[in-house]
Amino acid sequence: MKSRKLYNRISVLRKEKNVSRQELADVIGVNFQTIGYLEREEYNPSLDLAFKISEFFGLPIEIIFSPQPLKPLFEEIIELKKKIGGN
Amino acid sequence: MNHQISKSNRRNWIILNLLSMTFIVIFFYTGKYFEQPYLFFAGGAISLVLLIISFKMGFVKTKLWRLVHTKKEDLDERQILVVLNALRYSYVVFVMFCLVIIYGFALVNKGPINVLVAACLLYSAHVLPAVIIGWTEKRSVTVKTVNNIILIAYFNLP
Repeated sequence: MKSRKLYNRISVLRKEKNVSRQELADVIGVNFQTIGYLEREEYNPSLDLAFKISEFFGLPIEIIFSPQPLKPLFEEIIELKKKIGGN
Repeated sequence: MNHQISKSNRRNWIILNLLSMTFIVIFFYTGKYFEQPYLFFAGGAISLVLLIISFKMGFVKTKLWRLVHTKKEDLDERQILVVLNALRYSYVVFVMFCLVIIYGFALVNKGPINVLVAACLLYSAHVLPAVIIGWTEKRSVTVKTVNNIILIAYFNLP
């Protein structure tokens, strides 16, 4: 069974939190190169690893990972603001 | 310490290593049938030296050897996958290679394989997983061993 490509925002979130790949890798228990592979979307994480990343950033998994290409965060924030403002 | 080596350099060392092993066997067998086999034995010795150098440069310094021989508990999920895939492919390749050698010897009526060929097969069995990883991995390899973790924790190294 061929797995589909998963897109993610790990790179952006990591830079926002000012965390290096090594620091993130140490917290979630992987090699720092695996973080690189994840950020370049060359490797899909296991469910356990995805949850660990989600817990580290304090965000739901679906905000961090997606089977469809992710929009830039600022676009999502603008859309959310419009929705909240509209309600 | 991780020796950063480019993918193309890594591949070149791997090719040199496999060729050296092949030339050792070729020189040994061709030298047996000549009156002055010393040149062929010298060639075999040079090939052996190249084999050792290329093994160190291609497998030890690039951490490929350590990756394949590290315990599963010290590898992360991606590394386990990479090693398992390499072991799977190397098993297939090695079996085919062995069968070709054994049947080849039987067909030309050379009898059982000799010590040198057996040694080369043994060597191939050990390096094949590292060869596959070294050939396919896009980037250099790092492996965090328990000792490194202790060093990193104690000295607060990055």
